[in-house]
Amino acid sequence: MNAMKIENLVRDYGGGKGVFDVSFHVDQGEAFGFLGPNGAGKTTTIRHLIGFLKPKSGSCTINGLDCWRERDKVQARLGYIPGEISFFEDISGAEFLKFIAQYRGIGSQTRKEDLLERFELDPKSKIKKMSKGMKQKLGIVAAFMHDPDILILDEPTSGLDPLMQNRFIDLVAEEKKQGKTILMSSHMFEEVERTCDRIGIIRTGRMVAVDAAAALRERHTRSYTVTLENESAAEAFAADFNGVRDGLKVTVTTKQSLEEIFMNYYGGEKHDEHGAV
Amino acid sequence: MMNMALYKREMKGSIKLLIIFAAVITLYVSVIISMYDPELMKTLDSFTEAMPELMAAVGMTANAASLLGFMVSYLYGFILLIFPMLFCILRGNALIAKYVDKGSMALLAAAPVKRRTIAFTQMKVLVSGILLLVFYITILEMICAMSGFPGELDVTELLILNGGLLCLHLLIGSICFLSSCIFSDTKYSVAFGAGIPIFMYVLQMLANVGGDAEKAKYFTFFTLFHPDGIIAKESGAAAGILVLLAGAVVFYTLGIMIFDKKDLHI
Repeated sequence: MNAMKIENLVRDYGGGKGVFDVSFHVDQGEAFGFLGPNGAGKTTTIRHLIGFLKPKSGSCTINGLDCWRERDKVQARLGYIPGEISFFEDISGAEFLKFIAQYRGIGSQTRKEDLLERFELDPKSKIKKMSKGMKQKLGIVAAFMHDPDILILDEPTSGLDPLMQNRFIDLVAEEKKQGKTILMSSHMFEEVERTCDRIGIIRTGRMVAVDAAAALRERHTRSYTVTLENESAAEAFAADFNGVRDGLKVTVTTKQSLEEIFMNYYGGEKHDEHGAV
Repeated sequence: MMNMALYKREMKGSIKLLIIFAAVITLYVSVIISMYDPELMKTLDSFTEAMPELMAAVGMTANAASLLGFMVSYLYGFILLIFPMLFCILRGNALIAKYVDKGSMALLAAAPVKRRTIAFTQMKVLVSGILLLVFYITILEMICAMSGFPGELDVTELLILNGGLLCLHLLIGSICFLSSCIFSDTKYSVAFGAGIPIFMYVLQMLANVGGDAEKAKYFTFFTLFHPDGIIAKESGAAAGILVLLAGAVVFYTLGIMIFDKKDLHI
């Protein structure tokens, strides 16, 4: 079953900015990695999903509910980390979390305590005085503390140190195990590779690839078969290059990392620019 | 229809401003009412005679016979218009546009709370502030008048007059609120939310000077609030108040509807 569905979404900001005919879906219980360079349209797509923007054409649905018209119902099951979080600066982190809990109508506080502990966040200080990393942690706690079924995470690890990034990845993996549906945009291939089942790549507002993370990698696998003079040379070659030997023939495969795949898709951008000149 | 957590938070945000304005108003109202004295009135009247245009511009005219008439002349032309108006401008902008501009509206909008509920709650915060301010003004005036000049004040007339004042400020608040809902940029929200009421007040000042400039009164909603007419129980003055109130209801509703439908780039 499709938990999230985006169909032919269009929002033209002019000058080639915006999203154009974007379609993809995220299945129930699936983690979807949403990759793309800055300004490609990731955040614009996400703003449609959380009901901040009304589609100019096309549609977005979550669990069959229209993301614009029924946004309050959609929001009840949703956890969202904005790409750029802006808090109420005048209060402390603890007051902020208390406010959000009351505002959303959350009863239990246990999950909040768990999350604070996990990210080693002391929310007592004023938000104004918090570092970027602390604010990001606060945003994560606020997005996860009502235990949502669907998570929309817009570059969730920005500002976190590597240790905390790992803790976040672990948290996402746990959520996925519990059957939560996750859409995560990122610049970090590693975290997407580690957590996501499928990956969509967006460039200049258009989806250029949507595939299983494994299939995407496989498609960019190349094999070379080399025939050598004798068996001992073949054996040595196979050992050195991690190949598979069949008599005098040795087959070597190279895998492009997701990063290289990513660069492949963006590589075209440069050609486009040259073409235009 | 209303979110209690948000209402509480925003009322806390209003309190500081309300206290400051209440303090300033207390100072002016108590001093001016204590000046109600036949002897001093002559002094004030002589000011009016000496520079009638300037005094008229800020709504101070001579012929203040009763205590209430005196209060209308010296309080309801400037002090009780300007300070609540400033409150409306500051809070009106902060309640919606500032959150959208800064991006923290994302926290409020990304929750199972309808946008209409958010806007309605913020509107209620603004209206509550205006109500508190006008209520405080009324109590203050009654205390000052009754302690200084027992038996001189017609309480019923004062209540009716302040009912009119309330409607005027509800309209000013609705303009600030509507502007706050329309614009996602504080710059424009303030430009219109503050600009329109201040411009209208300047027109009112012009119109008060008289002569050709009096025509300006047809272009400002301040004309609809006519204190002398209200005290004299003129039907025109009552109609003016009703128009103010109706305008406020329309603008608040419009603001909520626009915020509900608009795109949030946050």
